[in-house]
Amino acid sequence: MVWHELAPIAPAYMEIANSPWLWLSTVPVVLAVLLQATLFLRRAWNDGREMGLSEEKLKTGFKTGLISAIGPSVAVLAGMLALIATVGGPVAWMRLTVIGSVAFELPAAELGVSQFGYSLGDEGITETAYATAVWSMTLGGTGWLLVSAFGTRHMETFRTKISNGNEKLLPVISAAAMLGAFAYFLSGEVTAGTPETGSVAVGGLAMLALLHLADSRDIQWIREWSLGIAMFVGLLAGVAVQVTVGGWW
Amino acid sequence: MAKGQSKQVSKSQSADGSDVYEEQFIPYVNKWGRLTNLLAVALSLGPAVTLLVVFDILPPSSAIIGAFAAVAVTFGWAWVIEPLSYYPVLGIPGTYMAFLSGNISNLRLPCAAAAQEAADVETGTPQASIISTVAIAASIFVNTAMLGIGAFALVSVFQALPELWRNALESYLVPAVFGAIFAQFGRDYPKVAGIGFGIALSMTLLLELGFLAFLPSYPLYAVIIVSVFGTTLIARWMWYNDMISPPDEDDE
Repeated sequence: MVWHELAPIAPAYMEIANSPWLWLSTVPVVLAVLLQATLFLRRAWNDGREMGLSEEKLKTGFKTGLISAIGPSVAVLAGMLALIATVGGPVAWMRLTVIGSVAFELPAAELGVSQFGYSLGDEGITETAYATAVWSMTLGGTGWLLVSAFGTRHMETFRTKISNGNEKLLPVISAAAMLGAFAYFLSGEVTAGTPETGSVAVGGLAMLALLHLADSRDIQWIREWSLGIAMFVGLLAGVAVQVTVGGWW
Repeated sequence: MAKGQSKQVSKSQSADGSDVYEEQFIPYVNKWGRLTNLLAVALSLGPAVTLLVVFDILPPSSAIIGAFAAVAVTFGWAWVIEPLSYYPVLGIPGTYMAFLSGNISNLRLPCAAAAQEAADVETGTPQASIISTVAIAASIFVNTAMLGIGAFALVSVFQALPELWRNALESYLVPAVFGAIFAQFGRDYPKVAGIGFGIALSMTLLLELGFLAFLPSYPLYAVIIVSVFGTTLIARWMWYNDMISPPDEDDE
């Protein structure tokens, strides 16, 4: 095996995935996000003052928003590494700045490449399979945008209608659907090999331990970092299994 | 300094304050929120279109439809349930902003809550909604900048890594994330998690051993559909038979 640290050994699509063109293509939508934030901020500031909120309170709100975003953003950045490694920098940045979270974008990308029988991280993923992942993340994310664009003003009516039905069953059903979907992703990884299975199991156990710790001591930053930490512990477990027992299946 | 004073002002004007909120602020937010979110739908196609126009890469439409259908089966619930369930906390402006910028539970909600706490406004009031709008806007500026710079830097770090580690990042981060998210959801409903995993693993093995070959094209969709709907139906049945209950009832 060639062992040049600087040689481009990454899959071919990675060159495209990190190209300046793709960085450029993410700029318009990120500007749309910033535009909305600026419009809403200006309006809230003016109307807020008219409503009798002091300049001081508004400044406090703004500063608290700035400062509180730093910790979670670093945590998101850690989680972003998984996306950078699989779909490249620009798409990872755009997907996590607009709409998404790692918990949606990774599975969506996986469903994209799986149309060609690949799994994220496989060698030889084609450019077409990569493009399919980009399409499935993009189209999948628009669901939330469309619901929020058309639905927000009717939310109150929606809510009362739904709670007339079975409001307690609803969270159970949506949690079950999510569990079914992620069980599918897990079984794909578990059947892929022993190191992957180790990563799944240790990542899951680490998450349980972290959330337990965060709940029992009520420590918010652990909750924010839980996915990032669990991810790295799971990664190390995968490497450990790979270099020790190797692959049993 | 003017703390007592400002409190008094906001109280004495609260009636007319909510007028401003209902008659000026909310209509403005509804108009521009819808417009910007729809604009983002169009602009989010940027990378996909660039792949097509600059690099001439377009997946066959069957692959795009297949992938989209799989995503819809998996996350279609969340498209509706998440806005509905976060709406009471986020309010109207927060719902537009949070669903445009993402990272809601781990970033937007904590920022909005912390700001309301720091500015000492009562949750659920128009004043609280204004403060959370300001705070969410601030959080968007921070995380757009930090993630942009971070992503750019991480790409170079990633490319400079020795192959063992780069390979590990490519191969083992994804399963670790999936395991962690499954554990996070499964914590509230461990029985459902066990059943779901049983169904999904059996279906995956059936697929890999070729027992699903009687179905048209590559029958991955069958695995997803049976996993999602099978788990949902069993959970529903268990709920009606009092075998599971929502987590908040167990706690207290």
